[in-house]
Amino acid sequence: MLNFTLRRLIQIPLVMLVLSVIVIGLTQLLTPEQRAAPYIRSEQQAARLEQIITERGLRDPFPVQYGRWFSNIIKGDLGYSKASNKDVVATIKERLPNTIELALLTAIPILLLAVWLGTLSALHKDKFIDQLLRVVVVLGYSLPTFVLGIVLLAVFYAYLGWLPGAGQLDIINQFSVSDLKRYTGMMTVDAALNGRWDIAWDALQHMILPAVTLLIVLSANLVKVMRNSMLEVLTSDYVRTARAKGLSSKVVNGKHARRNALLPIITLGGFLVINLLAGSVITETIFAYPGIGQWFVQAALQLDIAGVLGFTLLSALLVVVMSTAVDILYGVIDPRVRFH
Amino acid sequence: MKKLVTLSSLLLVSAALAASPADTLVIQSAADIPTLDPGVTYDTASSSLVDNMYETLITYDGASLTKLIPALATKWTASNGGKTYTFDLRKNVKFHSGATMTCADAEYTFERNLVTNSGASGNWFIAEPLTGTQSNAADDKSVTWAKIDKSVECNNNGQLVFTLAAVDPAFLAKLAYTGMAIVEKAYSAKIGEWDGTEKTWKDWIGKDLTGSELSKKPNGTGPYKLVRYDANNYLFQAFDGYWGKKPNIKNVIRQKVPELAARQQALLRGDADIIEGGGRSVDEAQIKGKPGVTWVDDLPSTTSTAIFMNEKIGGKGNNLLGSGKLDGKGIPANFFSDVNVRRGFSYAFDYQGYIKDVQKGKGIQRTMLMPDIFPGYDPKVKTYTFDPKKATEYFKRAWGGELWKKGFVLTANYRANAVASQTAMEILKRNIESLNPKFRVNIQSKQWSEMLSDSRKGEEAMILIGWAPDYADADNFMYTFYASDGYYSPRANWKDTSVDKWLKQARSTINTAERNRLYSLVGQRAYEQAPYILVPAPVDYLFNSSRVTGAPRTKAGYNPMTSLYWKDLSKK
Repeated sequence: MLNFTLRRLIQIPLVMLVLSVIVIGLTQLLTPEQRAAPYIRSEQQAARLEQIITERGLRDPFPVQYGRWFSNIIKGDLGYSKASNKDVVATIKERLPNTIELALLTAIPILLLAVWLGTLSALHKDKFIDQLLRVVVVLGYSLPTFVLGIVLLAVFYAYLGWLPGAGQLDIINQFSVSDLKRYTGMMTVDAALNGRWDIAWDALQHMILPAVTLLIVLSANLVKVMRNSMLEVLTSDYVRTARAKGLSSKVVNGKHARRNALLPIITLGGFLVINLLAGSVITETIFAYPGIGQWFVQAALQLDIAGVLGFTLLSALLVVVMSTAVDILYGVIDPRVRFH
Repeated sequence: MKKLVTLSSLLLVSAALAASPADTLVIQSAADIPTLDPGVTYDTASSSLVDNMYETLITYDGASLTKLIPALATKWTASNGGKTYTFDLRKNVKFHSGATMTCADAEYTFERNLVTNSGASGNWFIAEPLTGTQSNAADDKSVTWAKIDKSVECNNNGQLVFTLAAVDPAFLAKLAYTGMAIVEKAYSAKIGEWDGTEKTWKDWIGKDLTGSELSKKPNGTGPYKLVRYDANNYLFQAFDGYWGKKPNIKNVIRQKVPELAARQQALLRGDADIIEGGGRSVDEAQIKGKPGVTWVDDLPSTTSTAIFMNEKIGGKGNNLLGSGKLDGKGIPANFFSDVNVRRGFSYAFDYQGYIKDVQKGKGIQRTMLMPDIFPGYDPKVKTYTFDPKKATEYFKRAWGGELWKKGFVLTANYRANAVASQTAMEILKRNIESLNPKFRVNIQSKQWSEMLSDSRKGEEAMILIGWAPDYADADNFMYTFYASDGYYSPRANWKDTSVDKWLKQARSTINTAERNRLYSLVGQRAYEQAPYILVPAPVDYLFNSSRVTGAPRTKAGYNPMTSLYWKDLSKK
C-alpha cells in the first residue's frame, strides 16, 4: 500500500508537466492577435495591437514561450492573472480556502443524504416513497444550476428576506474583516478563532444558499447510483444467505448490504469532492462567492492564460490526490482490494 | 427531525437583513477591475475607482465638457504660441501615505507615463504632444531620455512646466484624463516601481503597469483611500487628510456580482445603491418605476458608431468579394470608391426604424461622427434619411449604370454577440435587397479579435465600429474617422485632400471659433462624400437607489466624460 501511494505521489509532477505542455500548446492554436485581444479594452487600444503582441512575446516560438513559463514556475511564479488582478499563487491562496469551506459544508450532507435516500428508495422499491424520490432525483438531475440558484435567491433573499444575497459577508462586516487574524483563510473558522462569532455566523449564512443549490444538484446523481447499487446488493447470494440465517432486516440491510453498496458511492464521492474543490463554477458565479470557480469563469472568459493554467494545474493536483485517496479508502472498505 | 426544524427556523429568522447603512455607498458591478495604477488605466471599470483615489491637475467643471477647472493645479498659463504650459500646484496636498505632494511628484508622474507608455495604456495621446510621437522609446528611437526629461520639468518656483513638441489644442483636455493622475515618486520607488532616474529608465520602457506594485498598493491624493480588497470587494474610506471638501459618505464598497438578477435584487432590497444594469430594454422592464429607485433619462452619450464602407478592400478581404468583379456574383475591391454606391447605401439605412426598434425610441441621428455635446459639433450639417427612391437613383448612377443592371453580392461582418450591430446590418441588408432582386448582402458574425486584426489591415469590406472618447475634444473623433492618416483610415480608405488639410489646420490652432469652422467644413464634405453610414447614437440613462442623491446623478450635473465622483454624493 505504501509503495502504491508513493508511486501515485511521484506521478503528480509528471502529470502536471504533461498537462502544462498540452494546455500551453492548445493556446498556440489561437493567433497572436487573438491572444493579445484580451489585453485590449477599447477600440483605441486596438491601434496598439502589434505593440502588445511584441511586449508579451506572443510571436515567439512555442518552446521559447513554454520555457519562459516554465522558468517562472520553478521560481514559484505562476504568472499574473488578469481576471483577479493578482498573481496566480496569491489568487489561489486567497480563494481556495473559500471553496474548501463551501465544499466542507456541502460534501458531507450530500453524501449522507444520498446514502440515506438511495437506501430508502431501494428498500421501498416501486412503492410511493420510491416513486416520489425518483421524480425528485430526475428533477434535481435535470434542473440547470443557474436556474435553481436564481430561484433560491429570488425566493429566500429577494422575496422572503430570510437569507442574505450574493457575496461572502454583509456590508457591515466587510470593514471589520481586515482586523481578523487569518489562520486558515476560511472565513467562518478564522472568525471563530478570533472570537468574532458575528462574522462567523454571517459567513455561514451566506454559504447556505450556494450549499443548498449544490446539495440539490449534486446529490441527485448519487441518490440514483446508491439506489441501483443497493438493489443489486439486495439480490445477491450473500444477502439471501444472511436473511436465511435469520438475521434481522436492520442488520442485513444496514451492515451487510449497505456497506457493499457504498463502493460506487466512494468513487463518485471522490469525484464529487474534486468537483467541489475545483470550484463549483456556476454556483460561485451566481452567488458572487469568491471561490476559485468564480475566478476560473472570469479567467476563461477573458482568455487569461496564466489564470486558466493555474486553475488547470490546481485541478490536476486535486484529481491525482483525490484519486489516490479514493484508492486507499477502497482498500479500507473492501479488504479484497488490498491484495490486488 | 424536530430539532432540525427548530434549528432551521432560528437560522432563517435571525438572518433578517437590514438595508445598507447610510454612511456606506454600495456599488455592484459585473466588471473586473483590471488595474488601480493610473499610469495604465484605460477602461471605465478601473477609472471608476482610480478617479476617486487619485486626482489630475485639472478636471471638468461639473457637467461642462468645455470648462476645465483646477484640481491639483491652482492655475496655468500657456505661452510660446501654445507650446509651453506652466502650472502652479496646490499647496499642502497630502497623499494617502501622509506625504505632501510636490512638483517632483507631478514631474515623475508624467515622465513615468512617457517612459512606460505601453500598448495597454492611453499614454499615446499625451506622448504625442510631449515627445512628438505616440510611441515609446522601444518603438521609436527618436524618443530619448533627454526628450522625455525636457518635456516636463519643475522650475525654480516649484511650477510644473510642459514643453510641447507641437501645438496641441486638446492638451488641457488630455490632462483631465484619469491616466494623468498624480502619483507619489518616493512611495512608488519604495514599493518597487521605477525610481524616476535616467539610470534605470531603459528598464521601464513600454512596461505594462497593469499588475504593478502601485496597482496593488494605490496611493493618491483623492478623497477616498483603499482600505483593503479581496476577490470580490474593494473597500474605501473617506481620506481624513483630503485637501478638499470632506465627503458626505464615509465608506464605499465596490462589489463584483457577475449575475444580473442578483444585482437587481440587491438594489430593489436596498442592499446595493448603484448597480450595473443589463441594457435599456432589460432595465426599463425590470427596474424603472420600482419603489425606491431613481431613474434619470435623456442623458448625452459620447460614443459614435458608423458602418464603414471600405474603398480599397485588400488581402484576405478578397474572400469577401465573391467573383471580385462587377458581374452580379461579387464586388470589385474598389466597389465603394464610387460615391454613388456610398450615397445609395446611406439612403438605404432606416435610421428612424433603428431608433424605434433597437434603441426603444431613445436615439439621436447625428450630423457628424462625434458626440453632439462636444465643441465643434455642427447640428446644421445635413443628414441622410431612409429614402428608397433616392437610394435607387444613386445605385442606378453607380459604376456607369452597370451596377444596377448586373447587381452585386457583398459580404459584411459584424462583431460576434453584438446584438445592436447585427440588427443594424440586418436592417441594411433587408433594405438594400428590397431595392433590386440582383442586390445581395450576406452578413456574418466574426470574433472581435479577428475583426480588430483584419480591419486594421483593410481586409474588411463593410463593418460596424464605434469610438468612445479619451478626452473631450473634437479632434479625438474627427481625426480618427475622417483623416486619411487617422486611426480608422485603413478600415475605410477614404481620402479627401481638403478634409485632410482642414483637420491638420484644426490641430494646429488654439482658436476655438476657427476650429469649429473647420470641423463644420469636414462634416459637410463628409455628408457629400458619404464615407460612412452614421448609426444613430444612443440616449443614455442612469438609475440608483433613491437614498442616493447628488449632482452627478441628475440630468443637470451628469458629465459623461468623468467617472462618478463619490465625494459629490449623499445618502439618506
